[in-house]
Amino acid sequence: MISMKNVSKAYVAEKPALAEIDVDIASGEFVFLVGHSGSGKSTFIRLLLRELLPTSGEIVVAGQDVVGMRNWKVPYLRRNIGCVFQDFKLLPNKTAYENVAFALEVIGRSRHVIRTQVPEVLKLVGLEEKMHGYPDELSGGEQQRVSIARAFVNRPPLLLADEPTGNLDPATSLGIMSLLNRINKTGTTVLVATHDREMVDSMRKRVIALENGRIIRDQSRGVYGYGD
Amino acid sequence: MAINPGYFALEALSSFRRNWVMSVVAVITIYLSLLLVGVFVVSGMLVNTIVSSVESKVNITVFLKDGAAAADVSSLQTAFDQQHDPLVSGITYVSKEEALNRFKQQMKDSPEIIRQLDTNPLPASLEVSLKDPKTVKQVVGEIKANPAFAKVIAHPDDPEKDLRYGQQIIDRLFAFTRVIRVGEAVLIAMLGLVALVLIGNTIRIAIYARRREISIMRLVGASNWFIRTPFLLEGMLQSIIGALLAILTLGALQVFVMPKVEVLLQFLHLGLSGAAMAQLAGILLFSGVAIGLIGSSISISRYLRV
Repeated sequence: MISMKNVSKAYVAEKPALAEIDVDIASGEFVFLVGHSGSGKSTFIRLLLRELLPTSGEIVVAGQDVVGMRNWKVPYLRRNIGCVFQDFKLLPNKTAYENVAFALEVIGRSRHVIRTQVPEVLKLVGLEEKMHGYPDELSGGEQQRVSIARAFVNRPPLLLADEPTGNLDPATSLGIMSLLNRINKTGTTVLVATHDREMVDSMRKRVIALENGRIIRDQSRGVYGYGD
Repeated sequence: MAINPGYFALEALSSFRRNWVMSVVAVITIYLSLLLVGVFVVSGMLVNTIVSSVESKVNITVFLKDGAAAADVSSLQTAFDQQHDPLVSGITYVSKEEALNRFKQQMKDSPEIIRQLDTNPLPASLEVSLKDPKTVKQVVGEIKANPAFAKVIAHPDDPEKDLRYGQQIIDRLFAFTRVIRVGEAVLIAMLGLVALVLIGNTIRIAIYARRREISIMRLVGASNWFIRTPFLLEGMLQSIIGALLAILTLGALQVFVMPKVEVLLQFLHLGLSGAAMAQLAGILLFSGVAIGLIGSSISISRYLRV
């Protein structure tokens, strides 16, 4: 699903944000990407979304060559990648339902598809009761569920989450993680960038640890590791 | 992929409403610049009418000395008639009597001048009218070169005295219209630039106002044209409104103001034909749409990273 070969990204020449990254993530995996702030997690995710281009190296996502890709094809790459962020990125003037529907509208899905898929995915994330609430009427955990629903409504083969529990308390975080786990069980590859130690330790999934832009550890059924 | 085309129209309209102050400013600028373009085009057409009416009055007069040999006069007249000179549309002989009659006609309001004339001081003349007034100089040269010319005029050593032609009027008229046209072009270009910048600015604000939506659209993979189209439409909408207002105003001027001007300037017909008005409307609409598209494209390429 994801293959990075010798990928480096330097914003300024002397200090690379990512250096010599070699990673293969198979279809259906659940992977944690851990590291301090500034270790390169966000750069990693943005490279996969082709918000950034690497300074060198090859990146293949969902069978598509990301680096050599034409600009106009990028949107079609992103339709294969669901994305969840720490700050939810919901539109405040739209209800939960409308926020999820918006993601389908703008890629040209028909009204019929929207009417069936949106309630379904909101039910999956446990928000069927509150789907007509506005973001400011929902708790942080519920807002993040809406954002996951939006990322998943198009059934992408890959889901990226950048600090999805960064703004949430531990109990709520647990709920979000089990939701991501459930989504992973449907066959979707899930990559979660986090520095939530307890979460990583409790899930026992594959862990890729970054430090100063390099992979220092990559173990299946790993833990967050020492030193925070 | 079935995308409701109404989506784009609605987006453009609601964005127009959201930034209505800036949008109105942009519309007014477009309106004023296109109105000026229209006024210039119309006045250009009118100046052309005036120029051509003056041009048609330009002819060459050769004054003949009293007692010029009839054979020489008629040989000169034949040399410059329609059959022999392709530049000439006609030549007429005006006798001394005719000249006096014309003079009396012109001076009929001051009979005392006519009464003082005991003899006829006016010379006979040949009046050459031209097909194209721009060839005045050439034909004058030909006349001077004709051997009969020197024989029939009173001042063979200074032939300019026996010739009268409207070259200077024409030259001045052309110089004048040239200056006006250059001025018009500069002013129109400047106004067009202002309109371009203002449209670009409203679109920039519209993009800024919708930056969250745009970032989410990019995130979920909305195609680039899908994101851009509403902004292009918004820019076009503004300029189309401005253009329509300008066309309406010009139409109103044509209907209500022109007749009054025509009453004042009776010797000129100032009306524009329906076809000319339609052409003008087409030009304004087209340049409006072009300004709108270019202005919003500039903003989109500068501020909308997709």
